[in-house]
Parts: sequence; structure tokens; C-alpha cells
Amino acid sequence: MATTPMLQALQGFLTVTTDRQELVSTNMANVDTPGYQTKDIDFQNALEQAMDQGGGAQLAPASLDVPDLPARPDGNNVNIDRESMILSQTQFMHQIGVQLVKEEFHRLLTAIKE
Amino acid sequence: MGIFDTMSISASALSAERQRAEITSANLANAETTHTAEGGPYVRKEAVFSTSSSSPFQTVLNQAGSVGGFPSGAVEISAVVDDKTPPVKRFEPGNPDADQEGYVAYPAINPMTEMVDLMDAVRAYQLNASAVGAAKQMIQQSIDILKSS
Repeated sequence: MATTPMLQALQGFLTVTTDRQELVSTNMANVDTPGYQTKDIDFQNALEQAMDQGGGAQLAPASLDVPDLPARPDGNNVNIDRESMILSQTQFMHQIGVQLVKEEFHRLLTAIKE
Repeated sequence: MGIFDTMSISASALSAERQRAEITSANLANAETTHTAEGGPYVRKEAVFSTSSSSPFQTVLNQAGSVGGFPSGAVEISAVVDDKTPPVKRFEPGNPDADQEGYVAYPAINPMTEMVDLMDAVRAYQLNASAVGAAKQMIQQSIDILKSS
């Protein structure tokens, strides 16, 4: 249970970015696995869900197979460019989340001190 | 599920790719090997990658019922298979491994194929190493929340 609504929302946000990071890593790890299908989460949907629940272990966003990616002859459709792009995107999003959490704690501290 | 699992997934890929590079190197090194302990020429080996269903830790954790989550997508080498291509015959009557007609069976290994395979393994290794780097940075940032601002 988070202290403020802001922290609760941020907790959900960070959970979703971490989950997405894990899926991207899984995709990258399976770049040479025949027949592997690229997985991703519906970011918007998962985020809304996480914001409502405040993150935590009860959240289990569905990992979906990404459609419309050209597959190689061995049935693998991992696109390295796409994964690298999402990797750095998620990294920055996580950084934003962490920065906001810090900011929120700072605000709380100020309120206590005043 | 979690940022530390991210690192173990990438680590599994790192070790799989390294193993693949080792197998490819063995193929390159034995491109001219006509004599093996099993008899006959060296047989080209190939690694088969597959997604492991679940790491033991994750399985136990799921049984404990604390968290649901993604199936862990760690990668592993499920098998090392022999290439079925028949050996290449070269006419070398003086070779001790030659048959009655004077032909020596050489492994059907194309150095170009192996080099491309090796480069592919190295690039995939780099890709996963950068994913580990990204995960490390995210963990470090999360730890930084604890530092008093």
C-alpha cells in the first residue's frame, strides 16, 4: 500500500516497464530459436490495469504474440531493430518513473519538515 | 517475474551463444579431420536452440503460489545434432585413410558457412550483453531511490 496516490501510480508504472523489459530480453535471448514468436505486452492496457491495482504481485499482464512481423524461414520473427528500440525506450521510461518517485519522496520530506 | 529474472534470461542466451560459437569453432578446426576415435571423418555438429519452459526456481516459486507471471523465456541448447551431409571424397591414394580406390572421405564443412555462423553467434552475444547492461542500469537507478535526495 503506497503512501500517496502518486506513489501508487508510479509503482504500477515501474512494474509495467520492468515487465516489458523482461519480455524484450526474452525476445532478444530467443533471436536464434527456431519457431519463436515475438512477445510483447499491450502497454497501454497493462498500464491502466497497473495504475488501478498499484502494481505488485497480483498483476499478471498477458504477454501477447506480436502480429504482422515478417518471419524468417525457420519460423522465428524476432526483429532486432524493434527490440533494441523498445529496450532503450523502456529504459528511459523506467528512468522517468524512478526520477518521479524520488521527486515525490522529496516533496513528502519537505511537507514533514515544514 | 522481475528485473533480476531479466538478467538470468539474458545470461542463459549468453551461455547458449557461447556454446554455439564453441561448436562452430570445433567445426572450423576439424574441417580437414579424416580420422576420429569413432572411425571415419569428423562429422559437422550443429546446435539446436529452444526456449526452456521454466527455470527450476520459477517453477518452485509458482508452486508456492506467491506470484503468477510470464513463462520464463530462457534459451537453452536442447541438442547438438550431426550434419547428415555425406562426406566429400577426394582422390589421395597416398593418404593412410584412403579406401581401396584411393579416395579419402573429408568432412563436408564449408569454412564460409562456419565463419558466418560464428559472426552471427558473436553478434547475438553482443545483443544480449547490451540487454544485461540495460537491466543493470535499471536496477542501479532503482537502488538510487534509496539514496537521500
